[in-house]
Amino acid sequence: MTPLLEGRGLTKLFGRLVAVDHVDLAIEPGEIVGLIGPNGAGKSTLINLITGLDAATDGSLEFAGRDLAGLGPPTIARLGIARTFQVAQPFRNMTVRQNVAVPALFRAFPAADVRTALRDADTLLDAVGLGPKRDLPARALTTPDLRRLELAKALALHPRLMLLDEVMAGLTPAEVDRAMVLLRQVNAEGIALLVIEHVLRAVMGLCRRVIVLHHGRKIAEGSPAQVTQDAAVIEAYLGPRALRSTPLGPAPRNESGRGP
Amino acid sequence: MRLPEPLRVPAHAVGTVSVAAQIALQNALNGLLIGGTYATVALGFSLVWGILNIVNLAHGALVMLGAYATFWLFTLYGVDPLLSLPLTGAALFVFGYALQRGIVNQVIRAPFLITFLLTFGLELLITNIAQAVWTADIRSVTTSYSGWSLSLGPLTLPVVRGASLLIAFVVAVLLHALLTRTRLGTAIRATASDQEAARLMGIPIARVYAVTFGIAAASAGIAGGLISLSFPIFPAMGAGYTLIAFVVCVLGGLGSVPGALLGGLVLGLLQTYAASWLGPNYDNIVAFSVLILVLLVRPAGLLGRAQRFRG
Amino acid sequence: MTPDRLRLRAGARAIALGAVAAAALLLPSLAGTYYIRLATGIYMFGLLAAAWNLIGGYTGYPDFGGAAFLGIGAYATGIMMVRAHTPFPVALTSGCLLAAGVAVLMGSLLLRLRGHYFAIATLGFMLVLQQLAANLEITGGGSGMNLPVARTFTTFYYWMLGALALAIAAGWVLPGLRVGYALAAIRENQDAAQVLGIAPLPYKIIAYAGNAFLFAAAGGIYAYWFTFIDPPTVFNVDFTIQAIVMTLFGGPGTAAGPLVGAVILKSLDTVLTSRSVFLHNVFFGALVCVLVIFAPRGIAEIARAPGGLLQAIRAELRESRL
Repeated sequence: MTPLLEGRGLTKLFGRLVAVDHVDLAIEPGEIVGLIGPNGAGKSTLINLITGLDAATDGSLEFAGRDLAGLGPPTIARLGIARTFQVAQPFRNMTVRQNVAVPALFRAFPAADVRTALRDADTLLDAVGLGPKRDLPARALTTPDLRRLELAKALALHPRLMLLDEVMAGLTPAEVDRAMVLLRQVNAEGIALLVIEHVLRAVMGLCRRVIVLHHGRKIAEGSPAQVTQDAAVIEAYLGPRALRSTPLGPAPRNESGRGP
Repeated sequence: MRLPEPLRVPAHAVGTVSVAAQIALQNALNGLLIGGTYATVALGFSLVWGILNIVNLAHGALVMLGAYATFWLFTLYGVDPLLSLPLTGAALFVFGYALQRGIVNQVIRAPFLITFLLTFGLELLITNIAQAVWTADIRSVTTSYSGWSLSLGPLTLPVVRGASLLIAFVVAVLLHALLTRTRLGTAIRATASDQEAARLMGIPIARVYAVTFGIAAASAGIAGGLISLSFPIFPAMGAGYTLIAFVVCVLGGLGSVPGALLGGLVLGLLQTYAASWLGPNYDNIVAFSVLILVLLVRPAGLLGRAQRFRG
Repeated sequence: MTPDRLRLRAGARAIALGAVAAAALLLPSLAGTYYIRLATGIYMFGLLAAAWNLIGGYTGYPDFGGAAFLGIGAYATGIMMVRAHTPFPVALTSGCLLAAGVAVLMGSLLLRLRGHYFAIATLGFMLVLQQLAANLEITGGGSGMNLPVARTFTTFYYWMLGALALAIAAGWVLPGLRVGYALAAIRENQDAAQVLGIAPLPYKIIAYAGNAFLFAAAGGIYAYWFTFIDPPTVFNVDFTIQAIVMTLFGGPGTAAGPLVGAVILKSLDTVLTSRSVFLHNVFFGALVCVLVIFAPRGIAEIARAPGGLLQAIRAELRESRL
């Protein structure tokens, strides 16, 4: 089966800083893949390359067989790649409903008119649990709600691949569980997910495959269990001395920095 | 805003070098001379923009005030314009400090349209009050040495213009030294770099902003003083200089003293050459075509930082 | 609110609108020349404010060069009427279309800029046109040009009213259209808008061209009205500044805000300051300063804020000062 998204030798240089270093990446249709790595590993930069916010210095990127080189973010979004931002980017002075109607109006097969788009938005908002707040201005939402709004907006694009940039950050364990249920539902619709996360429980629970980046390079790839036992990964997170002690377990306190 | 006519080559110099080359060289000299003035005008503007992130549309009005201050000191008290520059600078510093602390500070964190409009409103007020008080009559400062010029081979160098260029360099060097070698300068640069961090380090942001604005006003005043020696003075003269300051900053990059110098000289040269080809009525067209070209092709300017995504 | 109440409110609003429209249409036959002129002036600035609102308010791109298109409209209308002897309606429409075309061309360059750069670049564009008009022969150069005199004054009244109605209508329908959603998204967060499938430039150009078309309409009518135009009069940033201040005063991003601002401020301006340019400038200069410090989001929003006027003003200050 040809991969949905295939990146070969992806490299990004900022002056002399190598942010992404010859990374190979493949995501099959409908897969959930995790992308982890210490802070500064190049995860967000890699996402920016995929969505067209930055141009790769070297390497190739194909989505459903189509070369993404030189395409801008709007085109890539319409091709079917959606992303959520680490810091939510709502349209603050528009209502929640209107926020979700925007992508519904500008995706590849858009809603026929504004009224239909608003109806689409309502359906999606109910699905993510924001139904009752649909007429509030987006600036009035709490952080977990803003995350759900981001998700609804990404879904409104009818994507085939969603890039989730640290959606779980700052959520309580109960909220993390609820988010995981939601994401599994999204995946059940056939949407592939690339989950960038520090919250290991989510990564272990959702992803069939995990890629680990460190200093811009891919240092490990495999099932969650394999990756968390990998020597190179442990060294990357905890330093060389940690190799002599226990392997990583689920959601260790010092790794995510936020604790269970 | 009108440029003066490009100087003609004196007859006795023809013959040694070809006429075209002489004209080109004279234009180059004129361009550099006026470029020095542009640089001085732009220094303060660049400072305020780079550090307070405010495009001060009233900057030209401050230049105008400096020109009038020089004029009145000369006309009423006989103080030589070059000697009164420090006085003018000091007076404008106080005015600028008060202006920032009292008025501009109220909107400093608002969206840029707001600060833009505020400085525009200030420009209107200052210019119109000046016009009411001093009338729209055109003034000029004519000293005993106003007409002197040096002959450098085939080229003519008006003494006053030369002095202006020299003083422009001095001001630039002083400003650069202030920014890089004094504690105040470090505080200013730190505030520009990261306001929150600077505040956490105990830097009094409000005072830093006010001092920066004051310094910018002082340099605008000094520029005005220099301008009064060679150009006509009238209340509405400011707007043209504000726009020039803007173009210089775009050319040379923001918040950079060398950038303002370079940008000023480049603009001066461009305008002088354009004036000699197209005539004097095309200076705005030239300035803004350059502006738009640079903004589209190299938004970082000749020495600056680029914007990220556009369109 | 019950459905009946809502219907009653809608009905009342429709009646009020009808009454205002009837009054506007009948004014020339009821009032004297002074009031007709005053009203025409108010309509002109309402038109300019509503036009500016399309690019400045809805899209968030504050254009400072709107008068460039006003000048294009004025000169196009003048040139066609004087040299080609075209009747006013044709000349006016051609001028508007020309301005829109220029806006599409210039916009594709200028709208790539943001913030301060966009503002100054548009201002620069206006100055360039001013200087061009002063240098070309076809425009009469620096001495300006004269237009033929119209037979009755009420012509201008109705043309200005019509153009105003067009501008208000555009502002009214825009938020509910797909284009309106694109512009709002661009205004709120252009980068997020791009990631959601919006390619911003074409939409910004649409708003900019709409703004240009309407400014040109005002210019063409103004030229015919005053019968004499010259570069510094029509390519004058004062038109744009008034449009901006009136929109901010009345509330940007609403359809009626610009008109409300125009009515209030233009009336005040005419009554207080028509005797001298100096007073006019000082009035607007001081007004701008006061407005942007104490009520940057418009009087309308301040007035609507809970907790009263003073508290709203204090909140604004707290947000914007150091």
